[in-house]
Amino acid sequence: MSNVSPLDDVRSLDSEAAKILVLYDQKRAAVLPLLRLAQEKAGFVSPEAEAWVSEHTGVPLVHVHEATSFYTMFHVKPHPKHHIRFCCGTSCMLRGSEERLAYLKEKLGVRDGVSSDGLVFVEESECLCACETAPMMQVDDRYVGDLDSAKIDAELDKIRKDAS
Amino acid sequence: MTEPVLSRNFNIPDACMIEVAEKRGAYQTARRAIMTQTPEEIGQAVTASNLRGLGGAGFPTGKKWQFLPKDRTRPVYLVVNADEGEPGTFKDRYILERDPHQLLEGILLAAYAIRCQKAYVYIRGEYVEPWRRLQNALDQATAKKYFGKNIFGTSFSLEVVIHRGAGAYICGEETGLLNSLEGWKGFPRLKPPFPAIVGLFNCPTIMNNVETLSCIPHIVKNGPDWFASLGSPGNGGTHLFSVSGHVNRPGVYEMPMGTPLKEIIEKAGGVRQGHRLKAVIPGGISAKILTADEADVRMDYDSLRAAGTMLGSAGIIVMDETTCMVKALLYATKFFAHESCGQCSPCREGTGWAYKIVKRIYEGKGRMRDLDVLLSVAKGMEGRTICAFADAASWPVQSYILKFRAEFEDYIRRTSSGRD
Repeated sequence: MSNVSPLDDVRSLDSEAAKILVLYDQKRAAVLPLLRLAQEKAGFVSPEAEAWVSEHTGVPLVHVHEATSFYTMFHVKPHPKHHIRFCCGTSCMLRGSEERLAYLKEKLGVRDGVSSDGLVFVEESECLCACETAPMMQVDDRYVGDLDSAKIDAELDKIRKDAS
Repeated sequence: MTEPVLSRNFNIPDACMIEVAEKRGAYQTARRAIMTQTPEEIGQAVTASNLRGLGGAGFPTGKKWQFLPKDRTRPVYLVVNADEGEPGTFKDRYILERDPHQLLEGILLAAYAIRCQKAYVYIRGEYVEPWRRLQNALDQATAKKYFGKNIFGTSFSLEVVIHRGAGAYICGEETGLLNSLEGWKGFPRLKPPFPAIVGLFNCPTIMNNVETLSCIPHIVKNGPDWFASLGSPGNGGTHLFSVSGHVNRPGVYEMPMGTPLKEIIEKAGGVRQGHRLKAVIPGGISAKILTADEADVRMDYDSLRAAGTMLGSAGIIVMDETTCMVKALLYATKFFAHESCGQCSPCREGTGWAYKIVKRIYEGKGRMRDLDVLLSVAKGMEGRTICAFADAASWPVQSYILKFRAEFEDYIRRTSSGRD
């Protein structure tokens, strides 16, 4: 068992936080970038991370938490390692996103957004603005378009290989 | 159209790298202008070019800049709106990924024109690759001293910071973006005061869209008259049209302002083989839908307003005869219900109710009177909130039902066993 507390964990980001803070003419503008930094480190934004952001920016904790809960990209509890945003915009719908999404969910055995192996979170996303490749999805950082069953299979294989 | 302007580097390999961009002329216009012209001259050129904000509102860019206070007691900020999110729109992503130096040169010229020393680019959180390319381009350009202190040996200095969003459509709204940049929830602000007077950190702020700023090097290089003559009266230049849905070749197509909509659809390969046009959304999901019979319009701000809709973000979504309009409206209302920021009651409640009622109809539990309830919910949101989001949310409801009422009624009749 690690005896590093979550607060100590986020403290290890202090020097990176300092580099971000100098970019802004007011410290409070660093709330989103610091939340992102903490989430990239831990996989989610813990209450300790919010306290740390509050301390660095001078923004009251309640307002930091407001930001965490307002923006869809922040997670407030431990999150599966991979995140798929499946575009459910109108243009993707017109080009068959519903069938592709159903296929993806079935392959992964998704329940309450999480795959049966616990590796992947599947979010039904609003338009990701890559409609020229509809139907499309975002796998972690990458946009993957012109989806058919073969392409979806290939992406899931990559995730499984990465896990093994 | 003879020569592409904004998209001239889109198919040049590695145009996002500074060596390639410089060979294609990047930063030469900025160098010449900043060394030899006054900020006022750049501003006058932009005004004369009839450039209008290409993020969706279509406000004349030069006029926006003139709203800045004449006596400066506080710093002025330039904020670049790269929070592309309007469903059906992907043009800014092309600039960010394929020609970020075009945008950066535009930022340089705009900042010089409005005498600003610090610019923030607010980029959509999901845009990871576009962010990497832009950040890399900025780092390269800074290493070449195109950004930083005493640019081109003049007294002009500019620092640019790229700021990433975290997933909220409303942050594309000018003042929602400012609040988000300041670390708050992305709640739009009451206007006036407008950002040109009280903007970022309570300082005068100009916010321009990615594509708008990308036009500026071309205006400064080739002159405002040339730019104005590319488009239609009062709508200067070309525009990047995002075409998606039931066309053969979805993509970004650069065409002059005022190009007929049908010509753009043809450019995208036309409606899918063996199918015919049923409806088209001309300017992103917020724009009122046009029926096939109404699709003989020119694509500029004034022509589309006259046709009862809007150019918006120029995201053209094409629907053929296989499209179910109830389902199309379901997707539109779901989007607005999800993205309403929740600040104003008419919008927070109205978007939720509209989605629930359309969902009920879609699931076969609709009642004929639901259609009038929907129209009244839409009417109850429109014009009653802090920002234009509620208006945008009401327009699909109104236009889909008014223009395809028979189809909605038939759907209800077929699916919901005579409930009323």
